[in-house]
Amino acid sequence: MPHPAPDWGHATTYEDVSGEIAVVGVGESDHTRASGRTSGQIAAQAVERALDDAGLLPSDIDGIMYAPFAGDQLDEDAFHRHFGTSQEMWVSKRGGGMVWAATAAHEAALAIREGRARHVLNTFAVAWATRRSEMVGGPGESHAQELFKQSLEVPFGWFPQPVYFATIAQRHMHEFGTTQEQLGAVAVACRRHANLTPSAVMHGRPLTLEAYLASPTIVDPFRKEDCCLISDGGGAYIMSASDRARDLRQPLVEVAGVGLGNSDTGVHWAEQRAFTSTPQVFAAPGAFSMAGVAPADVDVLTLYDPFTIHAIMQIEDMGFCAKGEGGPFVEGKALDHDGGGLPYNTHGGLLSHAYVLGIAHVVEVVRQLRGQAAAQVPDAAVGVYGGYTGPQASTVVLRRA
Amino acid sequence: MRPDFPLPDTEWEPTREYWAAAARGELAVPRCRACGAYAWYPAQSCPACGHSSFTWTTMSGRGQLFAWTVVRHAFLPQFSAEVPYVPALVALDEDPAVRIVTRIVDCDPTHLSVDLPVRVVFRPLSFPGIDREVIAPYFTPEQG
Ligand SMILES: [Zn+2]
Repeated sequence: MPHPAPDWGHATTYEDVSGEIAVVGVGESDHTRASGRTSGQIAAQAVERALDDAGLLPSDIDGIMYAPFAGDQLDEDAFHRHFGTSQEMWVSKRGGGMVWAATAAHEAALAIREGRARHVLNTFAVAWATRRSEMVGGPGESHAQELFKQSLEVPFGWFPQPVYFATIAQRHMHEFGTTQEQLGAVAVACRRHANLTPSAVMHGRPLTLEAYLASPTIVDPFRKEDCCLISDGGGAYIMSASDRARDLRQPLVEVAGVGLGNSDTGVHWAEQRAFTSTPQVFAAPGAFSMAGVAPADVDVLTLYDPFTIHAIMQIEDMGFCAKGEGGPFVEGKALDHDGGGLPYNTHGGLLSHAYVLGIAHVVEVVRQLRGQAAAQVPDAAVGVYGGYTGPQASTVVLRRA
Repeated sequence: MRPDFPLPDTEWEPTREYWAAAARGELAVPRCRACGAYAWYPAQSCPACGHSSFTWTTMSGRGQLFAWTVVRHAFLPQFSAEVPYVPALVALDEDPAVRIVTRIVDCDPTHLSVDLPVRVVFRPLSFPGIDREVIAPYFTPEQG
């Protein structure tokens, strides 16, 4: 393992599900600024496209996973209303984006193994651009509602997420010498990929490192381009047993490994003993081990990236480089799809593609492994998504079969 | 959301003693009666030993700057008149694992550095349109 065993967290023990299931269909909604649509409507559009992509009918779906937070989601009732179906469904509320965009694959694999479902749909959508004005602190609303944060953090203006992660970035810069240019390299790579991806919200809005550095900071060291978009959008993917998937329309992309890591030092960022690390330290080794791959085998990486510092911290914590060397690792064109380094967030990520909390990252990895991506990595065979929520992080390894 | 958000609810039980101490000009954190560990943020049980009773203990108010940022854009309208301001995490001298979220005041932010010695100062916290104020623990660099 690349890191000495840290004692501030642990990995969740996962049964080996390597190769048992495949992602057979992927879809995204239109990604837009405020659209006036509900998140349920947005999710339904993504699901229609995922079904088309897989060549499945709505009546084929007998498992559904979603996240019961973040506004209305496409739950089983909404699915049936939208598609006019009535089949029995296996249901899990541990789906959606963020950490769950990866771990849903593990739970789905067990459900499929146990015969609870044959075709499991995972969906997630947000309408936070539409709802922004009614939310306290925008996407910070769930943090504003948390009572310890209300009492001990918000009154001092340590709120919302850009402020948390700017503080973490400043400390990372202090500990490891990470620079603004290195943060900027992440933003520039994501923007370049978005400019190659017609569906990206920031398509047609080029960004150079010079322009990045010339822009003002909004919360030091972050500029606007260090921070994720706020957009309306959603995504969906469908998982089926690998032997069943071979008979479907798309090239086979297997779930090769899944891991979940947990911090044991509380749920608040201020409390994290490992202030400049993420629980990817605990998530990634298990996923890589289940998949039988090493970081060097990874052809394309997508990471949950609300801020540029998340790329650097997770790249370190997943073992793509040593802790503290993430800054030098991302410099120049190292993250570009054609840069000869580690192709990263090749659709543009949360920074430049769309703010759909990771589900579109999984869709992008699947497209890369099928050879269907807009910013295609030549001959990509192993792809990884890393999810993050703060006290948890997750990794899913996908493999072209 | 409470009408006086983003002022703290000083009556909320888990942090009531924190704000009561601040009103007296003291910085207090809960300390485990069994093992003496500081428990921060306040918790039902001691993270070190699992015991569940605590004594709110007055601290020296001295610590080191662990991390900070300069907020130049008001993410909440209530902070529009405050920007730029410097929210920070301070690691207390008695136990640097206790990090207090605060603001650094009376200092040019360009003079700040990690591990800078700081000390607590108590100031009224208030927001436009809210006719209540709360005495809050801020920090400032130690002089000399
Ligand atoms: Zn104790």
